[in-house]
Amino acid sequence: MATVTRPAPSRDEPRRPNIATAGVQLPAVRDYEQVDREISGTLRPTLFWFIGLGVAVFFLIIGISAWMYQIYSGLGVAGYNPPVMWGVYIITFVFWIGIGHAGTLISAILYLFRAGFRTTIYRCAEAMTVFAVMTAALFPILHLGRPWKFFWLIPYPNWRYIWPQFKSPLVWDVFAILTYFTISSTFLFIGLIPDIAVLRDREKISPIRKTVYTMLSLGWRNTDNEWRHFARAYLFLAAFSTPLVLSVHSVVSFDFAMALTPGWHTTIFPPYFVAGAIFSGMGMVFTIIIPLRKWFGLKHYVTINHLDAAAKLALFTSLLVGCAYMNEWFVAWFSGNEAEKSFFANRIWGQWWWASAILYTCNMMLPLSLFVQKLRRSAAWLFIISFTINIGMWFERFVIVVPSLSHEFEPWQWTSYRPTWVDYAILAGSFGWFSMWFMLFIKQLPVIAIAEVKEIVPPRLRTTHPHGIDPAGRHFEFEPDTPGEFA
Amino acid sequence: MRGVLGAFRELDAAVSAIEALKQKNVGMIRVYTPTPRHELEEAIAAPPSPVRRYTLIGGLLGVTFGYWIAIWTSDYWPLVVGGKPIASWVPYTIFGFEVMVLIGGLSTVAGLLISARVPRLTMQVGYDPRFSHGDYGIWVECPPEQARTAEDVLRQHGAVEVRRER
Repeated sequence: MATVTRPAPSRDEPRRPNIATAGVQLPAVRDYEQVDREISGTLRPTLFWFIGLGVAVFFLIIGISAWMYQIYSGLGVAGYNPPVMWGVYIITFVFWIGIGHAGTLISAILYLFRAGFRTTIYRCAEAMTVFAVMTAALFPILHLGRPWKFFWLIPYPNWRYIWPQFKSPLVWDVFAILTYFTISSTFLFIGLIPDIAVLRDREKISPIRKTVYTMLSLGWRNTDNEWRHFARAYLFLAAFSTPLVLSVHSVVSFDFAMALTPGWHTTIFPPYFVAGAIFSGMGMVFTIIIPLRKWFGLKHYVTINHLDAAAKLALFTSLLVGCAYMNEWFVAWFSGNEAEKSFFANRIWGQWWWASAILYTCNMMLPLSLFVQKLRRSAAWLFIISFTINIGMWFERFVIVVPSLSHEFEPWQWTSYRPTWVDYAILAGSFGWFSMWFMLFIKQLPVIAIAEVKEIVPPRLRTTHPHGIDPAGRHFEFEPDTPGEFA
Repeated sequence: MRGVLGAFRELDAAVSAIEALKQKNVGMIRVYTPTPRHELEEAIAAPPSPVRRYTLIGGLLGVTFGYWIAIWTSDYWPLVVGGKPIASWVPYTIFGFEVMVLIGGLSTVAGLLISARVPRLTMQVGYDPRFSHGDYGIWVECPPEQARTAEDVLRQHGAVEVRRER
C-alpha cells in the first residue's frame, strides 16, 4: 500500500546530507545499468566453472568414502593414539569455524563502522561464512563413534527426561554454532533479496529461473516502505551478529580453556581465538576473491584499494595473534609452573618444533611483509600470502590440540600422533564440500551485492549539484552514499 | 486501487516531483528506488520503522528462554558435582546470550516481513521492472478527478513516462 507520510520539509530547512560518503569509490562504474549488467553477467556458467565444480565434487567423494570406511571400521582408523583423542577432526573443526569469522566481521562489523571497502567484498565473505560453518559442523559429528546419535546434544524432551549437561562446553558449542549458522544464513539471505529482485526482473529466457527468482525475492518491489524496514532490520541483524561473532569463537575456545591440560587452561584463549579466526578468514577471503575478480572481470569493482584495506586488516590481526603467541610463552615462563614450562619447551624445541616453525613463519613472519605498501597492493602477493595464512592457521590449531594432549602432566603418558590416510581424505573432503557449495553459489546468485554497489555509485542527476563538503564538514546531498547510512 | 505512475531517470527530478506532489496534496505516494537514498527518505519524511520493537521483544523473550531452559532442566534432573550449585548462572549466561541473539534476530526478520508486507504473490499495479535496475518511480494513488493534476506534476518535473493504472 502507499506510504502515509508527514508533510514535506520546506526548501529552507536543511535536509540531512550524507554524513560519511567515501567519494567516488568505483571510478570505472558509471551507472546502475552497468552494475546490473556486469554483476548479473557473472552467472553464466563457463567451462572453467564446470571443471572447478568437478574437482570439488571429486574431493568430496573421497571424503565421503573415507567416512564410510571409518563408520564401517570404527574410529581407530582415524589415527587416534591415547591420550591424543582429539586430532585432525577437531583441528579442522576449529579451522573452518575460524574461516567463517572474517565473513561476519566484513559483513556486520565493518557495516556498523561504515567501512567503504567492505561493499564489494562482503557478499563473497558472507557466503564463505555460511559454507564454512556448514563444513565445520560436520566435524564434531565425524568425530563421534556413533555419529547417528549426534542429536543427543540438542535439548529436547525425551522419554527418559534426561537433558544435556548445560555446564559442558560441548553443549555451549552446539548452541553457539547453531545460532551462528542460523543468523549468518539469515543475514546472507536478507541481503540477497533486493539483488534477487534484480535478477527476477532481468530474467527473460528461462521461465524456471524466473519462477525461482520470483519466489526467492519474496515479491520485493524496491518501494520506499520496503527499503525503510529493510535498512532497519539489516542494521539490527548486523548489531546482533557483531557480539555473536566474538562469542562463537570464545565458546569454541572454552572447549580447550575449561580443561586443566597444559597449554589450554588460560584466560587469553577467547581473544586469542577470535583474533586468529578473523586472521584465518581474511586469508580465505583473499584466496577466494582474488581469482574471482580476475575470472569474472570484476577488477573495477574489487579494486586494489579494497584489497589494500583488507590487507591492512589481515596485518592487524596477524599482529594480534603474534602478541598472543608471545604472551603464551611469557606466561608459561613467568608462572613457574613446571608442567606448563615443560610443555612449551616441548612445543617449540621438542618433538613439535616443525609444526611450531610452520605456524610462526606463516602467521607472524610472512604477514609482516604487508607493512610494505607495494606488496599490499599486489594481488599476486596477497594470493600467495593467503595460502600461507591458511596453512599457518591450520597448523596453529594443530599446535594447540596435539602437543598439549601428547605432553600432559604424567611423563609416562607422553606420546606422539600421526594422522592416517582417513584423516587426510576427510580433510580433503571438507575442502571439496566447501568448494562445491561456493561454486554452486557463484553461478546462481550475485557474488557482489548489486543494491549496495549502487549506493556507492553516483546517481544520475538532471542538474549539476555542488560537489564537496559544507562548512560543517558534511558532504552535500546527491553524493555517492556509504551503505549503512540509510539505516 | 487506481492512480498514476511516473518513471524518472534522475534522482533529483524524482525528489522534486515528490515535494511538489506533497505540496499539492494529490494523493498517497509510493516511491520506487533501485537503492536506498537519503534524498528520497528526507523528501518522503516517513515515520521510523517499527522493526526495532520486534527486535527488542524477540531479544527479551530469547534471553529469558535461554536462562529458563538451562535452569529448569538442571533443577529437573539435579546432579550435584563437587558441591557446586545446580543452577549456575555464569555458564548459563552463554545460553541466555545465544538464544537472545537467535530469537532476537529471527524476530527482526519477522518484523521486516510483516512491516514491509512481504512475501507477496503479485507485483500489484504500479510496478515496473525498470525500478529494480536504474530508474526511480512514483506511484500516486488518487481518484480519477485528481489524476490529471498528478500527471501534470510528474511531467513537469521530468518524468520520462507517465501512465494511469488500475
